[in-house]
Amino acid sequence: MKQKFRKYYIGVISIILVILTSCNNLDQIPTGEFTDATYWYSTDKASYVLNMAYNQMMGDSYFFANEALSDNLFVTRTSDEKLISSGIANATTGRFANEWSDCYGGIRTCNTFLENVDRVPAMDGTLKARMKAEARFIRASLFFRLTTWFGDVPLFSTNITVPESKTIARSSHADVLKFVRSELDSAALSLPASYTGADIGRVTSGAAISLKARTYLYENDWANVATTCQQVMSSNIYSLFPDYAGLFAIANEHNSEVILDVEYVPTLRTWSEYFDFAPPSAGRRVNQQSPTQELVDNYLMMNGDSIRATGSGYVESNPYVNRDPRLAATVLTDSGTWAMPGGTNLIIRIKPGTGTIDEYISGSGNNSLTGYYMKKYSDPTYTGSFNSGLNLILIRYADVLLMYAEAQNELGKMDQATWDETIKAIRARAGFTDTNALEFNVAWTQSDLRTIIRNERRSELALEGTRIFDIRRWKTAQSVLNGYPHGAKYGPSTVDNGYIRLDKRTFNPNRDYLFAVPQAQKDLDSNLGQNPGY
Amino acid sequence: MNLLKIKKPKLRQRRFVFLTFVLLLFVGSANLAAQNRKITLSMEKVSLRQIFNAIEKQTDYKFLYRDVILDNKKDVSIKVEGREITYVLDQVLPAKDLQYKIQGTNINIILNTIHKNTVSTGTPITVKGTIDDETGQALIGVSVIQKGLPGNGKVTDANGIFSITVPVGSVLSASYIGYLTEDIVVKDSKSLKIRLSEDTKTLDEVVVIGYGTAQRKSIVGAVDQIGANKIDDRPVSNLTEALQGASANLVIQQKSMNPNDNEVNINIRGISTMNNNDPLVVIDGLVTNLGSLNELNPSDIESISILKDAGSAAIYGSRSSNGVILVTTKKGTINAKPVIKVNAMVGYQNPDVLVKPVAGFENAILKDEAAFNTGNTLPYSPAQINDLKINGAKSEWFLNQILQNALQQNYSASMSGGSQNSSYMVSAGYVNQQSNFISGNSGTYGMDRYNFRTNLVNQYERFKLTTIMSYTRSESNAPNADVGNLIVDGERIPNYYYYQQKAPNGHFLINDVLSQFTPMGSLEAGGYNKYDTDYLNGSLTGELKLFKGLTAKAMMGIDLYDNHRTSRSEEVPYYATADATTPSILQNPNGSTSDWNQKYYTINTQFLLDYDRTFDKHHVSGLLGMSNEAYNSYSNDIWMNYVDPKLGTPTSQTTAIAGNVGGDTTPMGTSVSDIESLFGRLSYSYNEKYYGEVSFRYDGSSKFAKGNQWGLFPSISAGWRISEEPFMESYKSNIGDFKFRGSYGILGNQNINDYQFLTTYSTYNNTYAFNGTSVSGTGYQLGNPLITWEQSANLNVGFDASFFSNKLTASFDYFNKVTSGILIYPTEPSVLGTAVGEQNEGKMQNQGWELTIAYHAKTGDFNHNVSFNIADSKNKVLAYTGQQQINSSDEMSSIIAVGQPYGSYFGYKTAGYFKSYADIENSALPVGINASQLAPGDVKYVDVNHDGVIDSKDRVILGNAFPRFTYGVTYQVDWKGFDLSMLIQGVGERSEFLRGELVEPYQGNYSYTMFQNQLNFWTPTNTNATWPRLAAAGSTSDTNNYGYSSQVHMFNAAYVRLKNIAIGYTIPKSITNKIGIQKLHISMNAQNLLTLSPLTFVDPESTEFGNNMSSGGANSARSYPTLIYAGFGLNLEF
Repeated sequence: MKQKFRKYYIGVISIILVILTSCNNLDQIPTGEFTDATYWYSTDKASYVLNMAYNQMMGDSYFFANEALSDNLFVTRTSDEKLISSGIANATTGRFANEWSDCYGGIRTCNTFLENVDRVPAMDGTLKARMKAEARFIRASLFFRLTTWFGDVPLFSTNITVPESKTIARSSHADVLKFVRSELDSAALSLPASYTGADIGRVTSGAAISLKARTYLYENDWANVATTCQQVMSSNIYSLFPDYAGLFAIANEHNSEVILDVEYVPTLRTWSEYFDFAPPSAGRRVNQQSPTQELVDNYLMMNGDSIRATGSGYVESNPYVNRDPRLAATVLTDSGTWAMPGGTNLIIRIKPGTGTIDEYISGSGNNSLTGYYMKKYSDPTYTGSFNSGLNLILIRYADVLLMYAEAQNELGKMDQATWDETIKAIRARAGFTDTNALEFNVAWTQSDLRTIIRNERRSELALEGTRIFDIRRWKTAQSVLNGYPHGAKYGPSTVDNGYIRLDKRTFNPNRDYLFAVPQAQKDLDSNLGQNPGY
Repeated sequence: MNLLKIKKPKLRQRRFVFLTFVLLLFVGSANLAAQNRKITLSMEKVSLRQIFNAIEKQTDYKFLYRDVILDNKKDVSIKVEGREITYVLDQVLPAKDLQYKIQGTNINIILNTIHKNTVSTGTPITVKGTIDDETGQALIGVSVIQKGLPGNGKVTDANGIFSITVPVGSVLSASYIGYLTEDIVVKDSKSLKIRLSEDTKTLDEVVVIGYGTAQRKSIVGAVDQIGANKIDDRPVSNLTEALQGASANLVIQQKSMNPNDNEVNINIRGISTMNNNDPLVVIDGLVTNLGSLNELNPSDIESISILKDAGSAAIYGSRSSNGVILVTTKKGTINAKPVIKVNAMVGYQNPDVLVKPVAGFENAILKDEAAFNTGNTLPYSPAQINDLKINGAKSEWFLNQILQNALQQNYSASMSGGSQNSSYMVSAGYVNQQSNFISGNSGTYGMDRYNFRTNLVNQYERFKLTTIMSYTRSESNAPNADVGNLIVDGERIPNYYYYQQKAPNGHFLINDVLSQFTPMGSLEAGGYNKYDTDYLNGSLTGELKLFKGLTAKAMMGIDLYDNHRTSRSEEVPYYATADATTPSILQNPNGSTSDWNQKYYTINTQFLLDYDRTFDKHHVSGLLGMSNEAYNSYSNDIWMNYVDPKLGTPTSQTTAIAGNVGGDTTPMGTSVSDIESLFGRLSYSYNEKYYGEVSFRYDGSSKFAKGNQWGLFPSISAGWRISEEPFMESYKSNIGDFKFRGSYGILGNQNINDYQFLTTYSTYNNTYAFNGTSVSGTGYQLGNPLITWEQSANLNVGFDASFFSNKLTASFDYFNKVTSGILIYPTEPSVLGTAVGEQNEGKMQNQGWELTIAYHAKTGDFNHNVSFNIADSKNKVLAYTGQQQINSSDEMSSIIAVGQPYGSYFGYKTAGYFKSYADIENSALPVGINASQLAPGDVKYVDVNHDGVIDSKDRVILGNAFPRFTYGVTYQVDWKGFDLSMLIQGVGERSEFLRGELVEPYQGNYSYTMFQNQLNFWTPTNTNATWPRLAAAGSTSDTNNYGYSSQVHMFNAAYVRLKNIAIGYTIPKSITNKIGIQKLHISMNAQNLLTLSPLTFVDPESTEFGNNMSSGGANSARSYPTLIYAGFGLNLEF
């Protein structure tokens, strides 16, 4: 009997032993992630953080959504951009909060890189200096974006702590710009003018100088715009790419005109906005946004005349012939061509009564409500659902030339030589041949030239995300973003001469030139304050 | 042989008591003054009951008594004429050891207490006897005592035999947990045969509690036990559904009835933390995760205990603050013949779609009206409208085309029994629930579950070994499509005859409003997601009785999930017209295959010392234990694009292009954590009257940094059965038991992701690219080394009472929980630039109450059981980072704000609709909206702060999505073999925010049809409307009316639902025995037959809020339809 029980005791004791041995430990660390103590061990690891900063510099959704904020596009479906461009946004509008957090997210990555890269053992000194300059460029570009949208914003150059984030106040727009420019200056000194091989696509000194020119442009600081642009022009690194439409083709990425772009790779790192921009027969999902009649009307006749000029030769019933070739490269109009994967071209009929699925249908949310489709940046090499690997250009040389032309005109210095170097070169590249379109006319007043240059800028850079900043700095947003936008002449003839009347917009000049400080951020940090009118 | 078997109370008396009860309840006694108080009787050799009945016939007096006290009384004779009631009673009662008390017209008959305790002094003799239960099985361990002399007692042995020496004429009392106590008078030494009948709802009920069991009467915590009878025979596909309405404050919300995604919220006592509110689930002593409940075979369940308060739950310490669900599965019985049970249920689930679109031509007219109202171009001409009308009969709503009735089958079989030293229960089950979506290439959608279980108990002298092995396999075949999309794409297409999903030649069609894919194409050809889970729950428990009262117990168990999913995303071509030769668009153009595997297991080891002794009137029990839970999860996944369209295997396209194959390996999918614990309990009771208990648990968790890993979670509880006090003697005899109880304790919660205390860097592929080559990027999350346990201080007070000899029981609890140091992802300002790990920053209070009433009675051949429970919980945020946080998703906003219920809806109050243009001019308008852009009939908002503009400062709390005043009513009745059962379940108060197409007409140029529930809109002649005037999508009016988080989107989602009704019949044994069947029961079942709610167009039970009130939107309108089940059941017993 006693022995039997000994057996049971042994059984129980062995189970206790199992208990004591089968434990996991109370001290666990992750196997799929690094910790702060283990991360910074190689140059590669440091470069991954810098890569993240590049990722956060600018995204494709903002690239296309920024254009939707302007009068070049009409937004079909409810979105934050539609609320903002209609003038009914408020401090809780998501875009404001996202812009704020995305920019500061990128800034944190840059600061983290700058503060920790020195921990990496045995890192090449030259490489480290260059990478630091890249990080500082990206950080400066993000502060510039913030201050352009919001005016005064919190400014800092090292990572802040959680308590600091709850009390930090906004620095003045001027102080932020000052910081941005000085950072761009020092980045320009450490960055190479160009790269080779696997590094192509990184920021260059040219990008830093061009971005600096833009910081002056948005302040209408014409003298500095002119001198900074001249720096880029005299570097002789950049030139206009001969084929306007080809600028935006995947085959011509990194061409001589590109100063700064966001880089993509087919199938691996892609964007797919055209899934919601393309015409129905190209296999779109819905129609998110489409060009307005106002944009289409901006394109000149081949003879250089505005369509409204007497004797321009514009025929309202056949509106897309003899027009600036950039129109067809930018906007898909009725009977325009659409390149499909595999090399075929579709002729898209949008006009009602043509009996195709692309036809304009009143009130439809899946076909364009303007009678036009976006075309610039449509990439026929996409895979899957419009997954494109095409780079998106943030600054190109034509922009520098246009900035220079505008500055020179505002300074009263526009002359034949400046014209030829800028507008003429751009128009010739676009495909104009008529001398009336190409040559400088001494009879033009400064004001005439201002209209010409501004229209040229709109046509050349349409759908590239810059228009909204132009109409804000010109203070024309209050007129062009007020009233009804229009579509093609497919509407009832009794309303607006038959041009489709779209949802009304309002613009409050006392408020809408700045974004609101996001309400949630104000709630978390009472020192932030708010922009007027929100 | 003299069979001294106690007669069961006769049915008639039971009915009498029931009627009395009914009278008391519904008639009241006010007008029942006895008109005729003189009594004339002449009766020979009749029972007391017959005399009482005769008196009742002559007078308005009603007799109240416990049946048992009239049993075994000698017949009496009486002859009186015109006498007072007291005279008559004095004549018959003194000799019968009974007393009476007259209260109004009620006469309470009680035992004569002085006489009761008299000990017989007759000649001592030794009697032997056997005790068995109603099925004839010997009962072991039944205590047999001489009444009035508790020291003289014996216990039955393994064969149910006892032997005791008592004086002749003394009364033996045989009592056993879970059975009614029987009293027998010893007349001679002839052997006794005593049969105990089961007592399903008494104070002696055995309740499973943490690491042990207790009798109901000694429970001082808030514990509910749900018996098998509430779970069996319900045509549910999983256990959680069966628990709905079963226990007060066990709040179960079925978020979706989709068999492929049976998402259920389970909350015990509401929302007490901003973190995870999942209760802890323990199956046969083994800690598992919440989802395991649904892996069980409901027929295997013996009982489910719900531990609600600190007193009962603190033994589970760190994981118990959300309550604990203890599941106990059925075991066999020692010395029992094998019993084989077979259950089958087969029925159909019919989708109940609550919305209906308007007819096509009506829709065109309405759309024109909307455009006209806001000055837009009219989209439809009269000719087009006429065309739609003429061809209206040819149209069919897309949603109807993709839904169908679906088969559901439940089968289970078990065999149980035992020999002298061992018992067994072996069972198997199968459930199949088909999806209500149509299917095609991917086979029938739906789920299957296979269960297998072996529960063995082997006992050899002082050693007992319990072996539990349960295996579940679940398989699910789901469409490769989002359910919300399928529903909404079915709903939002107008009834126009020219919109078709499929051409007669088999082409899937798209159109200008559904331009990407159709639900029919997705379902029939878009691929599948096949999930399968192998779940193993097994344990080995050895128990050794060391010496009297002390048992050592060691347990080791594993709870293992092996999850696997394989998905195919198949390319579907869509055509613009039936005769088009090239497709317009391809759905899933990069046709892919993916696989995901996860192994998740917990190894739980426990060692316990259990002490339990009774010394005279003192009962002491103690428990000391240690435990380790080791959690391990490993997963990996792989996917390939551009695979072979038929087999899903790689092609040269798959492999040639970088990025077409991807996934995660095990190091990226590993999570390991650990909890080590020491715990104990000490309870003491005196004379089954005073109860006291303390318990504690000391837990260490790997989720925290060294120094913050350990937490102590103590509790104290006490109970007082006041009805046992001498001064309550007559209360106890006449009314019943009454117990006060209370507990206080600290519970913990650590349900957060692993490694939060560390700053972690994660690397992502394809973050950026340089010169056409993609590169990786690294992001990081700031860790917080200071995080530690959440603590919740719990107070619980309550009482249990029984009335009418336990026929009516009531139980009430009030609780107040304050949870502090709640682990939340704090909302830091985004200027910080990075995510921050969880912090102990929240604090909230949650208080509420529960009331449970149960009644069972027999009236004639009717046997009734009614139970009712109702409960409420109300929470309030006491502290939160930055005082408040507003979360927005689409139009919906919710707020976490100090002083308010957690996660309340937040937005603008409405003040009806603008009456005139002057009204618009004079009213505050939303920021950015000018008076000229609005018109009468648009929504007017309340300018809460009177600053002349509607802006974010005007937002207020609009309601809360968590159910309040939840209740359940169960009614069961049987009559001569027929039985009926009903479960009604409901919610007394709940708000629901609904956005999208069912609320906003032509929402966002996305919805193209209006629904019949939207037709009562404002027009100049219908100003008292439910909805604002029609406005074109995208117009300022539309934004004004529907674009904000406002009361326009708020709905009252209270409801009452006939959850289940079943009618059955048991074929008489006399018939079934001839074919060797012990029991044959057939039934008809229906689920969700009837729902009443102010919310008529959306299932009021559906919610997108999870267990911690988090939500990704307000799209309940797009959830899977309510299912109405109707079917048959069959139970067989051999």
